[in-house]
Amino acid sequence: MISSYSHYYESSETFHGSLQGIMGTRFDVVMTGCDELKGQSVWDIIVLELKRLDGMLNRFDPKSELSRLNQQAVGNPVSVSPEMWTVLTGCKRYHALTLGLFDITLKDFSLVSFDEISHSILLPSEKFAFDLGGYAKGYAMEKMKTILRENAIENAFIDFGNSSIVGLGHHPYGDCWKVSIENPFRKEEILGEVSLMNQDISTSGNTPLYSNHIIHPFTGEYSDAKKLVSVVAKNSIQAEVLTTTLMIATNEQKEAITPAFDIEKITSYDIQ
Amino acid sequence: MKKEKEVDVSLRQFIKNIGYMTGGAALLAGTTPWLQSFTPDKLEEIKKERARVAVIGTGSRGQYHIHNLLQIPHAEIVAFCDDYQPSLDAALALCPKAKTYTDYRKLLENPEIDGVIIATPLNWHATMVLDALAAGKHVFCEKSMALTMEQCKAIYDAYQHTGKVLYFCMQRMFDEKYIKGMQMIHSGLIGDVVGLRCHWFRNHDWRRPVPSPSLERKINWRLYWESSAGLMTELASHQLEVCNWATRKIPESVIGTGDIVHWKDGREVYDSVNVIYHYSDGVKINYESLISNKFNGMEDQILGHKGTMNLATGKYYLEDETSSKSGIEQLLKQIGDKVFTAVPAAGPSWRPETKQAYTPHYIVEDRFHVNDGLSMIGADKDGSDQILSAFCQACITGEKGKNIVEEAYSATMLCLLGNQAMAEKCKVDFPEEYKIPSMKFQ
Repeated sequence: MISSYSHYYESSETFHGSLQGIMGTRFDVVMTGCDELKGQSVWDIIVLELKRLDGMLNRFDPKSELSRLNQQAVGNPVSVSPEMWTVLTGCKRYHALTLGLFDITLKDFSLVSFDEISHSILLPSEKFAFDLGGYAKGYAMEKMKTILRENAIENAFIDFGNSSIVGLGHHPYGDCWKVSIENPFRKEEILGEVSLMNQDISTSGNTPLYSNHIIHPFTGEYSDAKKLVSVVAKNSIQAEVLTTTLMIATNEQKEAITPAFDIEKITSYDIQ
Repeated sequence: MKKEKEVDVSLRQFIKNIGYMTGGAALLAGTTPWLQSFTPDKLEEIKKERARVAVIGTGSRGQYHIHNLLQIPHAEIVAFCDDYQPSLDAALALCPKAKTYTDYRKLLENPEIDGVIIATPLNWHATMVLDALAAGKHVFCEKSMALTMEQCKAIYDAYQHTGKVLYFCMQRMFDEKYIKGMQMIHSGLIGDVVGLRCHWFRNHDWRRPVPSPSLERKINWRLYWESSAGLMTELASHQLEVCNWATRKIPESVIGTGDIVHWKDGREVYDSVNVIYHYSDGVKINYESLISNKFNGMEDQILGHKGTMNLATGKYYLEDETSSKSGIEQLLKQIGDKVFTAVPAAGPSWRPETKQAYTPHYIVEDRFHVNDGLSMIGADKDGSDQILSAFCQACITGEKGKNIVEEAYSATMLCLLGNQAMAEKCKVDFPEEYKIPSMKFQ
């Protein structure tokens, strides 16, 4: 269930909005230097948009467009909405750019048929289904940035389930937004710190309570690597795609893949 | 040759350290007034002296106390009394030089005894405590206080007019994890206390082997109403004392139901009790004890609106810890405080699942002992040795233990009221005639 919470802190002119249960996680935005009315109206737009995206991209919601596609596109081509077409062709492009490591089918994306004219999709067998887990948050984050920009919110901090964080403009008492990365296996241990100025930091890795969620599409095996990968980039989709990819890439693959991305910083933390 | 008593010193050092804290003296006075003299310095003052003590009732629990007394440098065992020869022999084996008695009144006439430790069946407590105080002895008596409310009140009243020390073995009052846990509760760590859940489960018939049928009621005294008040006085008393300690109030009424569910062997006392105590503000103690299934063990849980203190296991848990510690919360606080530093937010995907798992925090950081509640005699290092050490110290100094009698009285009254509610199958209000000045009901 999605639940929404918001609060305006008058003394610091800060608006905080929080959504629980959205895309399987939580979403928080902190907008500074805005009045309450403005904050509330922007938050309303954000909630509407996130719920719309959740309804389209959430594979656990049987009524979502993605679920419909997963159920019906085996054997017969299913035409999709223009936006879904953009999402899936985007994923296809990243599949190629990552040498097949970023794969929303978790098997072999190259076997999925795309009909350019009718904008329809055909899945090769029942074993295939799309999982946008490594893409949807980045995609939604780009939408969020557009909403904030269009509404003249210059300074904001957006946290989408910790794994995708955007700092727009700067902290009211600093020239950027600073975040640190905690070791999920040893609380209070800080692995690193980054400064964000109109950038996204995306992080991927296993945690003690949530591991075995990253599948290598070539072998079908889960990664149980005790490592974290963090990517800082201007584009949230690129950051998210790359962190997911680098969790399973070899060093050679990493060197071959990263030049195709517009990346500011990549950090890999070995947390054995 | 007595061994140095390290554990004794460790609790004393802990109490001393509280004294150094800001507000520490007030904390001690408010949460554990009986511990104000339980310091290393006081121990140093009496280190050349010995409390001359006698043990009345040298069955299994009496022997447990003898073992502890042998470890206490300021204690000297001078006499034993029991009317069951095998128990007396067992005690003598532990301390051969002690004089032996079979009549406790004769023992009380011995002027070389400063204090007595009474570990007899519950129906003997009142007579022995009153006689011992009248004989001018300091008294340490096993819990519960006595078999009936009248007897408890008689002991309480006698204590108001004696200059002697009187302790009841409510050992949780001297157990470090309980003491520290209570300080945390009273300082607001878990918020308002909104409920209390205590239980004690065992899977054992609660019997001792009987050499001859004529000794059944003497040896298995716990199973008969003439000598015992059953699970309530033998087990619940400790836990209800903890509830009173945590809330600093006394429940105004009780309802309950008790039955013999499994051990239908001629016993009279219940082997299954469920009792609900009701405070004036609606907060309740849910108490349950069953001795034919041990799955749930023994726990004393104090439930607050911000967290849960599980005193028996030495752990506490905070409500909504994940969200309260989130990077966003920290960021908002930073902005409010006009501070600019990094917030720990970045990491692998936050999943709602992680919120369901409570993180245990330990009340006492270092080593501590958890009592699984299975022993019928007494657990190791559960505070029984400490309270006995404090009593022996008091035998030397003559200093009364603040609130100890009141705590024992209140806890025992709740046990007996629980039994009354179960027997009468109706709600029982705390009787006016048994209220004492230290009790707060509102």
